[in-house]
Amino acid sequence: MSCVNLIEKERNAIINPLKTCQPLGAMYAVTGIRRAVPLVHGSQGCSTFVRYSLSRHFREPSEIAVTSLHEDAAVFGGRRNLIEGLQNVAIRLNPSLIGVITTCSSEIIGDDIIGFIKTAKKELAEKIGEEKTEKIKIVPINTPSFVETHLKGYDNAVKALIDHIAEPSEPNEKINIIPGMVNPGDIREIKHILGLMDIEGIVLTDISDPFDSPLRPSATELKPYYPKGGTTVEEIVDSANSTGTISLTKYAGSGAVSLEKKYNVPVELGPIPIGVQNTDQFLRNLKKLTGQDVTDDILDERGLLIDSMADLSSRYLHDRTVAIYGDPEITAGMARFVGELGMVPQLVLTGASNKEFVPDIGKVAKETGVEIDTMVGGDLRQMEVYLKDNPVDLLIGSSDGRLIAKEAEIPLVRIGFPVYDRVGYHRHPIVGYNGGIHLIDLITNTVLENYYEHQHWKLQQ
Amino acid sequence: MPYKLFDVSKPIPERKEHTYVKHCNDPEDCIPKCNSKTIPGSMTERGCAFAGAKGVITGAIKDVAHVVHSPIGCTMYGYGSKRYPTTTELPDGSEFPVKDFNIKYIIGTDLQESDVVFGGMKKLRQAVLETNKEFPFVNAIYLYATCTTGLIGDDMDAVAKEMEEELGKPVIAFNAPGFAGSTQSKGHQIGNDTLFAKIVGTTEPPATTPYDINFIGEYNIDGDLWLLKEYFNEIGINILSTFTGDCCHNELGWMHRAKLSVVRCQRSSTYIAKMIEEKYGVPYIKTDFFSTEYCAENLRTVAKFFGLEDKAEEVIAKRMAKVGPELDFYREKLTGKKVFIFSGGPKSYHLSIPLHNELGLETTGVSSMFEHEDGFEKMKDRVKEGALVIDDPNTLELEELIEDYDIDLILGGVKEKYLVHKLGIPSLLIHSYENGPYMGFEGFLNLARDMYSAIYNPVWNILEFQETEDPDVADVTGEVAEEVEK
Repeated sequence: MSCVNLIEKERNAIINPLKTCQPLGAMYAVTGIRRAVPLVHGSQGCSTFVRYSLSRHFREPSEIAVTSLHEDAAVFGGRRNLIEGLQNVAIRLNPSLIGVITTCSSEIIGDDIIGFIKTAKKELAEKIGEEKTEKIKIVPINTPSFVETHLKGYDNAVKALIDHIAEPSEPNEKINIIPGMVNPGDIREIKHILGLMDIEGIVLTDISDPFDSPLRPSATELKPYYPKGGTTVEEIVDSANSTGTISLTKYAGSGAVSLEKKYNVPVELGPIPIGVQNTDQFLRNLKKLTGQDVTDDILDERGLLIDSMADLSSRYLHDRTVAIYGDPEITAGMARFVGELGMVPQLVLTGASNKEFVPDIGKVAKETGVEIDTMVGGDLRQMEVYLKDNPVDLLIGSSDGRLIAKEAEIPLVRIGFPVYDRVGYHRHPIVGYNGGIHLIDLITNTVLENYYEHQHWKLQQ
Repeated sequence: MPYKLFDVSKPIPERKEHTYVKHCNDPEDCIPKCNSKTIPGSMTERGCAFAGAKGVITGAIKDVAHVVHSPIGCTMYGYGSKRYPTTTELPDGSEFPVKDFNIKYIIGTDLQESDVVFGGMKKLRQAVLETNKEFPFVNAIYLYATCTTGLIGDDMDAVAKEMEEELGKPVIAFNAPGFAGSTQSKGHQIGNDTLFAKIVGTTEPPATTPYDINFIGEYNIDGDLWLLKEYFNEIGINILSTFTGDCCHNELGWMHRAKLSVVRCQRSSTYIAKMIEEKYGVPYIKTDFFSTEYCAENLRTVAKFFGLEDKAEEVIAKRMAKVGPELDFYREKLTGKKVFIFSGGPKSYHLSIPLHNELGLETTGVSSMFEHEDGFEKMKDRVKEGALVIDDPNTLELEELIEDYDIDLILGGVKEKYLVHKLGIPSLLIHSYENGPYMGFEGFLNLARDMYSAIYNPVWNILEFQETEDPDVADVTGEVAEEVEK
């Protein structure tokens, strides 16, 4: 029987969350813009905790400013904090763009963000002149923490950036890519694919260099430090003129849809190109929107992945059971790839409550002929309890499952966010054919170490 | 002029009062302005009051379930982020069923928009009941207010009282919403006040001795407590209660039965020591266990209180014999190196003198995120002429001081670490350590070793591409060149 077996969480409270609140997604998105500064309108914890989370995952600086709301702001509003904060960031950091990111507190207080930005600009113009002020884009990004998850915050940020900045002019023959919340290695792989198809892309937004930046003091922009790379403001402006937009995740497609509505830029939403068929679909989407051919070079890369699968899947991976947890798009993509490897996606779990997740898993169930236990809006405790009665051979997900894996004595293949107890995971792609090759190596080596090593002679070729 | 305005802070001249340059002849009250609000729009290192309460004070307690009443973010960020290991041992000899329970589990009410509109108390009640069902073995349930619940005005104390009656076990609310106070320090204070008001004096220890102490403000970062506990045990001093490293809920209740309170982290926990002295007459002393010198000195002080000086000398001699020779090696390597200490609070005054006296390092400057006047006075006293003493430095100031001052190593947190590297300077995590523990005799050796490996990391010699090959052998240890010369 192949179907989705939805398992409901039998309590309301969350125990060990698999999601965080909206502002993190917005701070991540703004960091992907060249010389941009995220300015969080909230308490200091809202910036500090996120800087900590991002820095420990990427092992990179995460420079985020905050308006430092305190009791007085809770009573009288955060007007002065935001107006002063904006001016201080503008004058001291001379950014190309400031993303004003709200939080639960500023949303509950009901601060008039747009009005405050206007006032701040006026005051700023008096200090540094109209021209300089106009050069700094200030984008309000509403991210109420009590609505949905970090992915919604990312989506809201990308949409706000597009809505405030994109301007139609001449067609540019470029393709917009909204990558979703992925790693530098993933974005680099997407850009590599575009390169092989001779397509120019605008990545909205491109965290690949900002979150994996070279240590070269002689070539580093200092005082203020800005990391290398990122999408330029001009590119975001130009995104209205692209031949199409592909959002690699349907959970962050609002910006793409907005471009289509306003400027007739055609859109394709998802799936994230994890595994063979999803990557195939991504290439077809690219071809459809740009007319460019899928080149031999890419098909050779596909062939390398297929070659690994032919060599490894049936011999080492077949029928091994897997539990996958994390963000919905990545989890669904991984489930499909695991199926392509001949493994059994026994449990999939996402912390978000988005209902679109279920049909995606249904499709995987149909392809694999497996009944997939599915938890939507779940948490890690739910998985921990589940595994006691329903063990699996392998866990795939973030570092937050590490103690569950250790206790249950199930090996963990780390993907997604956050990964802080191992190194290098942000550098290697899980998307595209190369991502597939990286994943199959990772998964197979984990299986060899844990299920073959005790009979070492089986590891002789 | 004793105060310095960084060039990068010229647009915010009020920052000048926060950066003091040490002049030995300055009057005593010449210290940076501190414990005041951060200027909006700064990339500050500071956190919030919730972080101070849950993250610092209560997160180390081993047998308590922590329920964060918040939209999901605060719960996520309170989850396993501090390096506070715990055992399963309980003072009555029984075992708590889960090791590192405090690191493994966090519970949240996951507030939604409708809760913000209609209030979240119902959800909080339900979460408490569910927590008790999921983890029936916990000895107490702690509830945390956050910005959202502070603003919508949920009466956490009422829920706690009601639930405590219903469950028959302590349920305690910590009203430290993120926006309270100017730094996480406010959360420390609320944590102290709440634990004192609700728990201290409510339980009795299974047994007492004439040598009982409260070890206050020791959170067992990376195992600090376990190391220090060995010393006390060998001297014959009994830690009756730890506030709060590897401790259990009940042991906080009998802190009034100790003979002496030994305060380790003076910023975050002197409050409770004072309150216990005032109400129950238990005297307290402020101590310092960073470095061999301070550790020895303070072990002597505590031992003297109990007339156990000889035992202390034995412990000190034994440990010094163990770590002394290796420390000598690091002293030779580290002498003359310049260090800047970016700490949360007290480490900025704990470390400057021992780093100099015992390892030969010079302290270029110190800073603190959340210290108050008394802490800054100590910081100032313990650095040399010309050293910087900074309150709440922001990223730009960090950049400028790295450019302007000769610094070989920065001791800081995760938020500073990777930026510092990008500027070409080694760094070391001093909040939660790298290869700790860092306290006590063996801990100081760990710190010395980590500082040595950071400064002498060969990568710093090959930072940039050279057009022509350097004919000299890279001189990492200083020994190679000498050998060649001979």
